[in-house]
Amino acid sequence: MVSMNIISRVNELISNAETFCLATVISSSDDRITPGSKVIIHKDGTIEGGTGHKETDKSITDIALQANTQQEKKLLEIKAGLIVFFDFISTRAKLIICGAGHIAIPLARFAQEVGFAVTVIDDRPDFASQARFPECEVVADDFITALRSISLNSSSFVVIITRGHEHDAECLEEVVLQPTAYIGLIGSRRRVSFVLEMLARNGIPKGRLADICTPIGIPIGAESPEEIALSITAELVCVRRKGIGQAKALSDAVRGMK
Amino acid sequence: MTDKEIFEQLAQFQKQNIPVCLATIVEAAGSTPREVGAKMLICADGKTYGSIGGGCGENQVRSASLRCLLTEKKPALIEADLTDDLGTKGGDVCGGKMLIFVEPFL
Repeated sequence: MVSMNIISRVNELISNAETFCLATVISSSDDRITPGSKVIIHKDGTIEGGTGHKETDKSITDIALQANTQQEKKLLEIKAGLIVFFDFISTRAKLIICGAGHIAIPLARFAQEVGFAVTVIDDRPDFASQARFPECEVVADDFITALRSISLNSSSFVVIITRGHEHDAECLEEVVLQPTAYIGLIGSRRRVSFVLEMLARNGIPKGRLADICTPIGIPIGAESPEEIALSITAELVCVRRKGIGQAKALSDAVRGMK
Repeated sequence: MTDKEIFEQLAQFQKQNIPVCLATIVEAAGSTPREVGAKMLICADGKTYGSIGGGCGENQVRSASLRCLLTEKKPALIEADLTDDLGTKGGDVCGGKMLIFVEPFL
């Protein structure tokens, strides 16, 4: 039976915002290994808990570390008669919305609804206010200072929808070389190409610029701020579930039909 | 419910010595209502927390969990077939199959 200990450890790790693999023995033909026994595997390969069988713990750890990049939750028969479920536990993905204008309001709402932890930043305190964005983290400061106060990682999503292309460019330049799961940039083709050219001139590699999602959002014919927010939220979900490739393919396919 | 909420609730039950069953979708094929890794807690009084997809297979899991809590007292792997006639008549019409691991925390 699982000791109480491992569940409290799982909770501790979650509250420390750590990402880890939780492997559970599902079935075992070997009497020494009990179904339900769990192993926590950290990114650095250290483990907690265990099956009570060293070699098995070792193979579980190896598989977990290999699977760590994709973090695909799966069931595997790791040797004859021993089936293990590899679960990856991570805290909520973070969404940073740069620009607290009229699209940001429904976007923050929808994104929270589908499970993002939302931060909204803007240099206008009237716009970046807690009253406009309940339950979000709100930072009212110039964009660069605000962005530097936020630590980004490979599960961070950034949506750039400021009021003007100068601010779009400064936000983009600040985040583009940092690890992120997604960067989306709003704007007309003209405005977007202006921003991208400016960054290319400033020495940002072309390959990195190609990862930016722009035009932003899955093309659903959105017009109103709410519709645009919905289209962006759909893109965020698509990237979170299926990766950036699928989101781009989806948008390209629809846009190619025109 | 997020994993965080599920594990917090589970720890809460353990602290209060309330027996509870954790159900986790470990494999899914075809059209299923929730993804692999989705979790639900089931108490001996039938109360549940979180969801592995509403009507689709959830009743099968609930009864298996109660059996696991009250009589078997050990983990079990449940196959919820959402394509069978019985399920379809009962409204479980998602059309896929899922494997759910249920484990008692006594």
